[in-house]
Amino acid sequence: MHPTLGHVCAAVAVACVMLLGGCTRDRLEWPKREPGSRRGGVLRLAAADDVPTLDPALGYDTRSWFFEQHLFETLVAYDDRAALVPALADRWEVSPDGRRYRFTLRPEPVFSDGTPLTASDAVGSIERVLEPRTRSQGAEYFRGIVGAPAFVDGSAAHVAGLRASEPGVVEIELAEPDPLFLHKLALLFAAVVPAERARQLGDDFTTQPIGSGPFVLREWRRGERIVLARNPRYHDPERPYLDGIVQQLGVNPELSWLMFESGELDVTGIPPADFPSVMRDPARAALTVHATALETMFVGLNCEMPPLDDRRVRQALNYAVNKADVITLLNGRGVEAHGIVPPNMPGYHVDLVGYPYDPTKARALLEEAGLRAGFATEIWTQGTDTDLKIAQKLQQDLTKIGVQLAIKSVAWASFLDAIRQPKTVPVFDLGWSADFPDPSNFLDVLFHTGGANNHPFYSNPAVDRLLEQARTVLDETARFRIDAEAERQIVDDAPIIFLYHPITYVMHDARVHDYAIHPFLPARVTDVWLTPEQSARSSG
Amino acid sequence: MRYLIGRLMWALLILVGTTAITFAIVFLVPGDPARVVAGPRADAATIASIRRELALDLPVPVQYGRYVGRLLRGDLGRSYATREPVAEILARRLPSTALLAATGLAIAIVIGLLGGLVTAPLAGTWMDRTALVLSLGLLSAPVFWLGMLALYYVGYRWRLLPLGGAGDVRHLILPALVLGTGTGVYYARLLHTNLVSVLGADYVRAARARGASALRVVAVHALRNAGLPLLTVIGLDFAALLNGVVLTETVFHWPGLGRLAFDAVLSLDVPVIMGTVLLSAFLVVASNLAIDLLYRVVDPRIRLG
Repeated sequence: MHPTLGHVCAAVAVACVMLLGGCTRDRLEWPKREPGSRRGGVLRLAAADDVPTLDPALGYDTRSWFFEQHLFETLVAYDDRAALVPALADRWEVSPDGRRYRFTLRPEPVFSDGTPLTASDAVGSIERVLEPRTRSQGAEYFRGIVGAPAFVDGSAAHVAGLRASEPGVVEIELAEPDPLFLHKLALLFAAVVPAERARQLGDDFTTQPIGSGPFVLREWRRGERIVLARNPRYHDPERPYLDGIVQQLGVNPELSWLMFESGELDVTGIPPADFPSVMRDPARAALTVHATALETMFVGLNCEMPPLDDRRVRQALNYAVNKADVITLLNGRGVEAHGIVPPNMPGYHVDLVGYPYDPTKARALLEEAGLRAGFATEIWTQGTDTDLKIAQKLQQDLTKIGVQLAIKSVAWASFLDAIRQPKTVPVFDLGWSADFPDPSNFLDVLFHTGGANNHPFYSNPAVDRLLEQARTVLDETARFRIDAEAERQIVDDAPIIFLYHPITYVMHDARVHDYAIHPFLPARVTDVWLTPEQSARSSG
Repeated sequence: MRYLIGRLMWALLILVGTTAITFAIVFLVPGDPARVVAGPRADAATIASIRRELALDLPVPVQYGRYVGRLLRGDLGRSYATREPVAEILARRLPSTALLAATGLAIAIVIGLLGGLVTAPLAGTWMDRTALVLSLGLLSAPVFWLGMLALYYVGYRWRLLPLGGAGDVRHLILPALVLGTGTGVYYARLLHTNLVSVLGADYVRAARARGASALRVVAVHALRNAGLPLLTVIGLDFAALLNGVVLTETVFHWPGLGRLAFDAVLSLDVPVIMGTVLLSAFLVVASNLAIDLLYRVVDPRIRLG
């Protein structure tokens, strides 16, 4: 008999069985928990996207930062309320002119592989970020160190202003005083890695990261799962409580919710459709935690493209949008924005009024600008569910003042490219979140003339002068006063429609304790512990 | 033999052409890879430095020349995003996708054969019409909808199978079923149509006249001829499935090639885009060749060359 389709089927079936044998995943083994102890257990999480990187020189997103901050330590760090506190450095001194820093490391720090962590590692870690070969997105934060430009262009082997002067002491000299420098050192870009080893590993450091943080990388199956385990050499013998963290990767938010409801996950975001029912049930609402993010969502208005080059038109658009409605669309998960700086940011400008919803005033302003009949324009968005909902809401509101808004969905890469081109994108939907808790991180970065992130192409010499002045003022109160004045002028010029500050909600299982959301960093689970008696539940 | 060498030369040409076209497209679409690598926040100096380090400041033909040079040495480059060697990424993703594709296809073939063989002799009856309506429904249901439905009931409500992910056989069942059902129903209709036209042919009538059983007539005599177009479709489908099934992989968070390619395109990760396209082209060319050879086995009258 000749081979038939049946034979083909049989061959395929045999191939499947063979493949299956090779693909069965081994289960993770964890130590048994001691009864009655907070210690032990595994936190089960899920996320839609894989982790971009675990190399602190490279990560510039909350996904990478969530894991990096558990694997590495910085010289200084933030406490739960965003104040700077000692970390790897026990203490530090700053010279009166604000240009020289001296950090003393805590006694005998070690990396997770047992090798001692030295001041030279701290120096080498920052040099690694500056080195062009590393392609770090964080290089700009350290270019102000004396000798950094010479190191970057290859004319010096080391950064002159970065020294491991004696064992356990790091000295840094800046070309100009920088009131934000300690914040920059608290960024994970400045995390201390075994410098020599990281250099040898090059691009492979991301899969074999070594740090001094509370956890170590145990397994990373790209696109499947990432597993951290307790670092037995962590400097605090009491922490972390958890034996490990397992995060399933590629799980979309709806599936994550189903897995949480089936008891397969400990922490999850709440899909918009399920949010109202969760919040109506007091028992379930008690398991949610929330925080207003140091983040501002806005609609950029290109100040170089008519008719948006007229301030009155931009103000009219601000008055025309009903921000309370926008927040309703988000299940109330947001705070109305009156300006650009978020409410829980130090230096927040409390008495700023912004643009309350007032279509009459909006129409009057348009008439004043000679646009009684309105005009047509286009909003570019990245087309996520939330983006589209908000764009449609804007479309409705603006129709009422005669402005026809077309919606254009664009993929991320093209979007990024387009908003940088002058006179290309009239209106766009974007957000900005803080890298560190200082108003200049919003104002200077987004609104200084010619700034890399000044996508509305906004330019006001008076605002520029204030922002430049603030850059070198070391006294915080005086600096915040200058920032507040700059913000007042920016809000008046309305280069963007100020929309809202998102409130992040997550829900956790009843067995999870002390899970908290940080104001601007991803959640830290070093202090999280699990109810002891439920520790028998399987994981992995 | 000469035929085979000729085919292989053509295959090589197709692969080279594919890399050239893909490279051109990647650089023609709006978007700057260096900008994406640098992220939304980087300043101009950082972007410029990254562009230099990735050699993106060179003219595109020079970049392509360098790429082909490395390719000839077996180096597919490293991902811009994760910095992993592209060859390693592909080697890790291909087995997952192959497993899902092979199982899905096996299910599709079983559904197709059973459906076709059972419904063909019933052509024109009310049972056949019911089957038609049912299969049209299944054929029109979007994969992501079927997938979410399957996850919700089988995984969440009835707790019979895991809620997606890769692991053991239990993880494979739902995505393979969802993948196989739509394709299988299509095969069944295709086979049905072909069988019905063949069942009236002289040689089938002759077989009946010789006293062959009804089953033997359909499954052996008719299927041999009616199955040939199906074989072509299956061959092409297998190549397509191997290239990843984005929707199924996304719904079930199955770590396969489809999602990899999709994500790479969105983030303009040039080396990964090139790698996945090259692999896809290779798989399509190879499976076409395999199908041509299989034809000869199934129908010796088909001469190659």
